[in-house]
Amino acid sequence: MRALLAAALTFLAAAPARGAEIAVALTQTLVEVDAGFSGARLVLFGALSGVDPADLLRPANLDIVAVVKGPSTDFSIRPMQRQGIIWTRGAGAVLRGAPSILLTSATRPLDEFTTPALRRRLGLGAESVDFYPLLRISGDAISLFGGDGARRFVDAFLDAGRASGRYGEAAQAVSFRKGALFSIDVELPPTTPVGVYAVDVYLIRDAEVVSHDEASLTVSKVGVERQIYDIAHQRPIAYGIACVVIAVAAGLAGAAAFRK
Amino acid sequence: MQIYLPIAEMPVDPLIIVIMGAAVGFLSGMFGVSGGFLMTPLLIFFGIPPSIAVGTETAQIVASSVSGLSAHLRRSAVDFQMGWLLVGGGVAGSALGVGLFRYLRTVGAAETFVTAAYIVFLSVIGSLMLLESLSSILRQPKAGARRRRRRRTAWMAALPAPVRFRKSQLYISPIPPLVLGFLVGLLGAMLGVGGGFIMVPAMIYILQMPTNVVVGTSLFQITIVTAVTTVLHAAANQTVDVVLALLLIVGGVVGAQLGARVGVLLKAEQLRALLALVVLAVGIRLGFDLVLPPPEPFVVEEL
Repeated sequence: MRALLAAALTFLAAAPARGAEIAVALTQTLVEVDAGFSGARLVLFGALSGVDPADLLRPANLDIVAVVKGPSTDFSIRPMQRQGIIWTRGAGAVLRGAPSILLTSATRPLDEFTTPALRRRLGLGAESVDFYPLLRISGDAISLFGGDGARRFVDAFLDAGRASGRYGEAAQAVSFRKGALFSIDVELPPTTPVGVYAVDVYLIRDAEVVSHDEASLTVSKVGVERQIYDIAHQRPIAYGIACVVIAVAAGLAGAAAFRK
Repeated sequence: MQIYLPIAEMPVDPLIIVIMGAAVGFLSGMFGVSGGFLMTPLLIFFGIPPSIAVGTETAQIVASSVSGLSAHLRRSAVDFQMGWLLVGGGVAGSALGVGLFRYLRTVGAAETFVTAAYIVFLSVIGSLMLLESLSSILRQPKAGARRRRRRRTAWMAALPAPVRFRKSQLYISPIPPLVLGFLVGLLGAMLGVGGGFIMVPAMIYILQMPTNVVVGTSLFQITIVTAVTTVLHAAANQTVDVVLALLLIVGGVVGAQLGARVGVLLKAEQLRALLALVVLAVGIRLGFDLVLPPPEPFVVEEL
């Protein structure tokens, strides 16, 4: 009897979560990298519906996780090697098409409410991304590191990503507002690359996705910097000549200003 | 305050860059050198990628050398005939240098190359300058007893197609100036230097040019060759950051004028000894970077 009652209560408690939904919106869908850019704070606003507000006060019951994923790029990873008395970059590996940014923010540490299988499926946290198929190790590096090479290269890549703020996992990163409203702050580092970013938010209960919502974000260079960068890459010869003209003018102006 | 460098793709404090430009400009004004061999390593210490430091520094050298050249042009202390030959060699050397630099970048060896080349180069130049200036400080008393230099140009006249250089009062083959220009152009393109500190002694001791036209003619060559190098770096490597260059130029122009004023108060040998110490210090500092274990065992770069 008691067991039945407990089961009924559990069912009742769980019932509202069946229809639980998560929705998310970004306060800005465009991040502009301009002259003063030294990183940006991205604010995700979200709302839960079909959830008993009491559940939100017990975060152990329901968890929210957000993943901000930057455009894919290639990276080179080279070991520093001693040659004679100097240290130089040795043969290394190239990582093709790895996310340039991967920032995961959640209510709790990921391993407290997700299984490794779920993390891999949703791409939660840098550890869950399978980088090995993306890795191209040069022949010299294979003979240098043996079978251990791939792991060393991936670890080095993740360490560098965390150090630069491009990769990271934050727990206790969801702040609950009034009722079923919440917000998540994500810090984009100063080296944030341009491109289209995907933002995915999941509502998770018992290591299962209850609801999912997504948004996208565009990071672009604006202003004079954007124009300079574009001209330097699209019309490099004209850009070079312009640099020389500016330098000559500045040099002559300086000489004239100080002549007297 | 922070300003975002569009090509280096990093935020920097513009005031620090201007001060760095002024400090090197001060030294260069004091010693009469373009200062690239100090500025490029300083930019690297500061965290600017070596390839962008090299490309951008060439643009700054254009500004600082054109500013000096304008004064020499007014005094008509430029041997254009010799200058154009040096430019011809220089442009060829620069094209080869930029091409080699591009290759080094693609194989990922540009950073180590620039650092290692600077160490060798700064230690050799610094030691030679120090020895030379110390020996002339110790040989003080014979001031005024200037030895008449005997010109030894016969070997250069014996090379093919000798030409008369009126302004420099020389009768030599165009091959030595072409080769000298080529080597300086090559060095300049790969290291982000003007090369005046090699060009001037070589013009005096090897080409045997009269000292009154040496500085003006070398500035003429440096201005044109670094201008060409800047365009080549921009075209082949996209490594010229115009914002960084402008900040350096602003600091450099002011610093150079102040340095020139302080420079006249000091004796030439003392100046050279001082510069030699600065050069050696920068070389040793770079040496630490290469010899000490790196802070990270791996280098990760976005391609």
